[in-house]
Amino acid sequence: MPKEQYRETDVTRQISHLSFGVESSESMQQQSHIHVVAKNLYNQDIGRTPVPYGVLDKRLGTNSKDSPCQTCGKNISECVGHFGYIDLELPVFHVGYFRSIITLLQSICKKCSHVLLEDIDKAQYRFRLTNPNLNYMTKKTIRKKINDKCKKITKCPHCKARNGFVKKMTAAKGSTNNTILKIVHEIFNEKDKEKLMEKLSNRFNSAIENNPEIQSALSNSVNEILTPIDVLKIFERIPESDIPLLAMDCDKSHPKDLIFTRILVPPVSIRPSVVSDIKAGTNEDDLTMKQSEIIFINDVIKKHKLSGASVNMYQEGWDFLQLQTALYINSELSGVPMNMMPKKPGRGLVQRLKGKQGRFRGNLSGKRVDFSSRTVISPDPNLEIDQVGVPVQIAKILTFPERVIRANIGLMRQLIINGPDKWPGANYVQQKGSAFKKYLKYGSREKLAQELKLGDIVERHLYDNDVVLFNRQPSLHKLSIMAHRAKIHYHRTFRFNECVCNPYNADFDGDEMNLHLPQTEEAKAEALILMGNKSNLVTPRNGELLIAATQDFLTGAYLLTKKDTFLDISRASQLAATLLAGKDANINIDLPEPCIIKPRKLWSGKQILSLIFKPNKSVGVLANLEAKGKAYTKNREMCVKDSYVLIRNSQLLAGTLDKGHLGSGGKGGNIFYVILRDFGQEFAIKSMWRLARMTSSYLMNSGFSIGIGDVTPGEGLIRRKNALLTSGYQKCEEYIKQMSQGKLQCQPGFSAEETLEAIMLKELSVIREHAGQACVAELPQTNSPLIMALSGSKGSFINISQMIACVGQQALNGKRVPDGFNDRSLPHFQHYSKTPDAKGFVENSFYSGLTPTEFFFHTMGGREGLVDTAVKTAETGYMQRRLVKSLEDLVVHYDASVRNAEGDIVQLTYGGDGLDPADMEGKDCPVDLERVLAHVRAKCPYRNEVPLNGDQIKRATKAFLDTGALTECSEDFRQELSKFMDQVAKRVNQVLKRFGYFSVVKEIERLTCSQLVTFLETCNLKYVRSIIEPGTAVGALAAQSIGEPGTQMTLKTFHFAGVASMNITQGVPRIKEIINAARSISTPIINASLVDDSDPKFAREVKGRIERTTLGEISTYIDDVYTKTDTFLLVQLDYERIKLLKLEVNVNTVVHSILTTSKLKLKPGDVVVQSDTIITIHPNKSQNSRRLNFVLSELKDQLPNVVVKGLPTVNRAVIAREDRGGKTTYHLCVEGNNLREVMATYGVDGRKTFSNNIMEVYQTLGIEAARQTIMSEIKQVMENHGMSVDYRHIMLLAAQMTHTGEVLGITRQGLSKMKQSVLNLASVSDSSQLNPSIEIK
Amino acid sequence: MAGVLFEDIFNVKDIDPEGKKFDRVSRLHCESESFKMDLILDINSWLYPMELGDKFRLVLATTLREDGYPDSGDWNPQGLETEGSRADSFEYVMSGKVYRIEGDEASLEPSSRLAAYVSFGGLLMRLQGDANNLHSFEVDQQMYLLMKKIFM
Repeated sequence: MPKEQYRETDVTRQISHLSFGVESSESMQQQSHIHVVAKNLYNQDIGRTPVPYGVLDKRLGTNSKDSPCQTCGKNISECVGHFGYIDLELPVFHVGYFRSIITLLQSICKKCSHVLLEDIDKAQYRFRLTNPNLNYMTKKTIRKKINDKCKKITKCPHCKARNGFVKKMTAAKGSTNNTILKIVHEIFNEKDKEKLMEKLSNRFNSAIENNPEIQSALSNSVNEILTPIDVLKIFERIPESDIPLLAMDCDKSHPKDLIFTRILVPPVSIRPSVVSDIKAGTNEDDLTMKQSEIIFINDVIKKHKLSGASVNMYQEGWDFLQLQTALYINSELSGVPMNMMPKKPGRGLVQRLKGKQGRFRGNLSGKRVDFSSRTVISPDPNLEIDQVGVPVQIAKILTFPERVIRANIGLMRQLIINGPDKWPGANYVQQKGSAFKKYLKYGSREKLAQELKLGDIVERHLYDNDVVLFNRQPSLHKLSIMAHRAKIHYHRTFRFNECVCNPYNADFDGDEMNLHLPQTEEAKAEALILMGNKSNLVTPRNGELLIAATQDFLTGAYLLTKKDTFLDISRASQLAATLLAGKDANINIDLPEPCIIKPRKLWSGKQILSLIFKPNKSVGVLANLEAKGKAYTKNREMCVKDSYVLIRNSQLLAGTLDKGHLGSGGKGGNIFYVILRDFGQEFAIKSMWRLARMTSSYLMNSGFSIGIGDVTPGEGLIRRKNALLTSGYQKCEEYIKQMSQGKLQCQPGFSAEETLEAIMLKELSVIREHAGQACVAELPQTNSPLIMALSGSKGSFINISQMIACVGQQALNGKRVPDGFNDRSLPHFQHYSKTPDAKGFVENSFYSGLTPTEFFFHTMGGREGLVDTAVKTAETGYMQRRLVKSLEDLVVHYDASVRNAEGDIVQLTYGGDGLDPADMEGKDCPVDLERVLAHVRAKCPYRNEVPLNGDQIKRATKAFLDTGALTECSEDFRQELSKFMDQVAKRVNQVLKRFGYFSVVKEIERLTCSQLVTFLETCNLKYVRSIIEPGTAVGALAAQSIGEPGTQMTLKTFHFAGVASMNITQGVPRIKEIINAARSISTPIINASLVDDSDPKFAREVKGRIERTTLGEISTYIDDVYTKTDTFLLVQLDYERIKLLKLEVNVNTVVHSILTTSKLKLKPGDVVVQSDTIITIHPNKSQNSRRLNFVLSELKDQLPNVVVKGLPTVNRAVIAREDRGGKTTYHLCVEGNNLREVMATYGVDGRKTFSNNIMEVYQTLGIEAARQTIMSEIKQVMENHGMSVDYRHIMLLAAQMTHTGEVLGITRQGLSKMKQSVLNLASVSDSSQLNPSIEIK
Repeated sequence: MAGVLFEDIFNVKDIDPEGKKFDRVSRLHCESESFKMDLILDINSWLYPMELGDKFRLVLATTLREDGYPDSGDWNPQGLETEGSRADSFEYVMSGKVYRIEGDEASLEPSSRLAAYVSFGGLLMRLQGDANNLHSFEVDQQMYLLMKKIFM
């Protein structure tokens, strides 16, 4: 039965709220059907009937097909089950509410149960809490405030009773007592303990005399243990007027309900008994077992009560009952003593909800579905871009319920006759009005076909051109699941055009993919338009093309469009004929005039390839492109390497096509992108498919392979490589020598060793680079790896160089290979050897073969790569999940604002301009004006019109803008447009001025009136098209756009913050820090501009003010002096050094610093200034008379650490030099925190000082600054990894993190402050942590 | 000679000045004798080898028909063989399109040197010189290049 297509109007309802409360014991009884008392599950009879009043009582619902429910009489599929209850002999705490119980107890008097507040305060808080518009977050803060206030009060304002601190009981050392789920009330604090102890124990003296047993029961602590009974009594007595102060609503829940006196027995249908085949009897659910255990203990306690058992036994039973009820709710309770631990951990109620397989994430947010299939994938360039090849075996199983109408009744009859085994056929028929489906395998299909009537439903097989959803895990972005048109074939794998590999991130090394068949016409239509892969050629991440030519297509196109590829008529026609396939099997192809007519008719490859854009005159595609290629040199299309592509009106005029023009990732420089934007997706995928067919056919005919000959270096190459190596080695040796002689010039902030490492690494990586360049120069144009690298289809120059010339330096952690043995990397080398080969430089190539040590170094590098990918997938996966969960509800509304599910505004206009990132043709703007103008000029020549001059252009633009044709565009855009036209006018005028008197001049910068109008109209169209649609799930897109590139980032990379020695965390760890809103980050750096940025001396002065300088650094010595009469410390300041460092320090400031260091406990008189450089310190003799010696040596240890200048939080400040346009500027890079102080330092330009620590920026400069920092930091990380992400996504993430007014991380804690909906939170994180019961209205 | 836009005798001054990048294609740098036009021309060097110092006559025409009438527009595989054609008297003939006409970018003061760019299916030609010699060139114009070596 298909989903009903038609729905009644005005039946949608919005759920205003859900409310949760605590179940009282009365209501438990009310909703229950039986009082469960029997501990046994089954009678010992033959039928194994459940014991009446046991936990499997038949009145709790039914579990078997043949016996209906005894309460409602319905059968298994209808009966929802019924509750029972168990009365507990003694009250116990509810584990989930345990924390809340403690907080409640902290807020109330343990004697009179009143809230521990003065009446004035009470009235005030009560007033605030009765406000009905109070939201959950403020309510929570008020409650926290009340709790904090009450915690401090020791004397009840109401009954004057003494109140202490209430806390969870913790196990005393060595005690075997059970401390789990117990509450202690520390009435007296430690100080008065001893006194009170005596007083207290005296009270029991006479009692102990009479009954010595009491002695053991008396604890030797003054603390009172609050048992559940006590707590229950306290809670019951809470005056009704005080309950709102505890932020509870007495209509819905009363504090006393937090304590169990009765528990519910859930229906058997959620805890079914499974009759086991292997052994006799049944397997019971963990919940059932726990329930019966609870009844069992209950019985034991009852017996104890009756028999008057000892206190200890009684207590033991109670503890056990407490534990069992706790485990019933949460079986992963921590702190359970060993002897009480259950043998096998069961599954508590919490465990059923929690985690990936839990109810929320496993059954509500995601479910298993029908009409899905999965198999291996393989490539097929002959399939169109939007097709997917489906095996016929799958097509026979996936069915679509098609309603019979007049137009399709003939077809449906035929399908029924074909039946389930013959494709295309049908599996079931459902006649109109009957609920029963007829299976077509058996019975007379002819008869059924005859009886087929309009309105019947035929579950027909999947057939060609059905819309299906195709998906590959991990589904990291919306392009991981797209709609294709099915194409049934007789093979066993799913097939698709290689161009579509990119969005799925698929290869064909055994990957499997899933395919789903939407079940209604509605769903199909929606899938085709919204999810269709031709609608998703462009990624919303940055608006770049994602579905585009790859691999062999690029190689083929490159070879075909090389300047010296010529084809005779037979080859040209053959290639042109490859376009005749599929729907295009009968189109005309207009073969162009051969470019060489005499001496022989030859077509160039470029002419033939141009056919893929416009095979004949009736195809209206007139694409225009002008773009540099990978090997571009100079002089535009006259480039000697022919690497400047010029496409004019769909004719490839010049240039060799490579990845930049055909492959994914490009915008304006990509021909398919241009076709997509200017002529629509149909033409784009058509041309892409034609390219796939033509290039693969060309490659198949001309042949393309790789062999050992391709990687054998020629003599010249070997010579060049050896020269490179010897010169490189020589330089390295030189450096090593310099370093051993101590002559090496240190880099700022680096030690000599580190400097050596840095320059060696640089030197050695240069060798490989040069070797790669040598390869490219030496290899012939026909070399296959070179062709692949040049076309961009696979591999890079480095890969070629590694195969042919030199593998190069192996790096671990961004450094050369570290020492794995004592002072050397491997035992094959000398100790302390720093030579290239001892530190992982591989001079051989893969062709020449690696030496054993080289091989070992290479495996080390390889292993790091493997570990990295493994770690990173897990890390980024969780990050992605959190991002999605925090942003998923953000949607653009009809007023262009972005709001979350609660209606809070996160952004007033999406991205500041309300434009869709997927429609950005230029950089962050919807129109690339230069390109569009060139396109319009070429596409519409208007040959008979007279070109305009500059002033005419200006006037015409103004006139057009004034007509109001562009009112839908933003003011900014219109201004930009007229500015651009002014520039064009200027150019035109210039040309006219220079060449005005010739007639040919009309051809230069020619712009006619109609062209101008067309141009402006096109711009308008493009702008309007790029306005984001209301309802777009921009949050989810942003999350995916930030999370997905994370998976491609290498984990550990560092980046220099202007100074080589200063690294800042980058990559996934940095993104994690940012979105977690981490308080302390691993590399905090403050970038401080200087008031005078041209003077290095000034920079050094400011540096001295900021950088932490200790006494030890500026003193020549600190000595202890013992004379007959006195002992003191002598400190000599090193004035030379102070001067050198430009420190603003003298004896007096040093003394001040020493005195203000409280740790030293020195008094003003103790420190004496002897001269300009000498200070003596005389510790107080009278106070420390007995241990003066120790004090002195302690002081001697601590004095060097006294901070005499600078900020204690700053570890280092480095002066960064910047050469820009011949002008050298200086600024400071400060490693450490405390932005506030750095900004306030004299000499620092506070307006241009930035920190990368978001929390600090928030505290110092406020929330908007923090938002800006989040944006710029994420942007920086992304850029460093070569990932382009539209700024709108980053902006939205930053807005979501800051929209509450404080910086909230995308973590569990932050999320719970961002969202109020319990259901939302439950789907994100650990549901057991949530305590939805008390606080929520 | 209707349909002829330009005609002159050129001297080959240089071949592949930046090194030979393609096996079958060479770039000629030539200078004309009468109009002092600069010419850069890619030719298929396997079909029509050229040597330094060679002299050739070059004709640029919009049609191959002797009568100067424009071609039908579509290419007809049989067409040329049957009718008499201007190509008959030349050794090397290419067809292509004018795609750009631009001024000399190098100098800023008013000058009269213009350059016309023609692509013969990827084999490029740049004809640079006095604007008067390029007066009937139009962008998107169909263009035939006819060449014949002159031996002295």
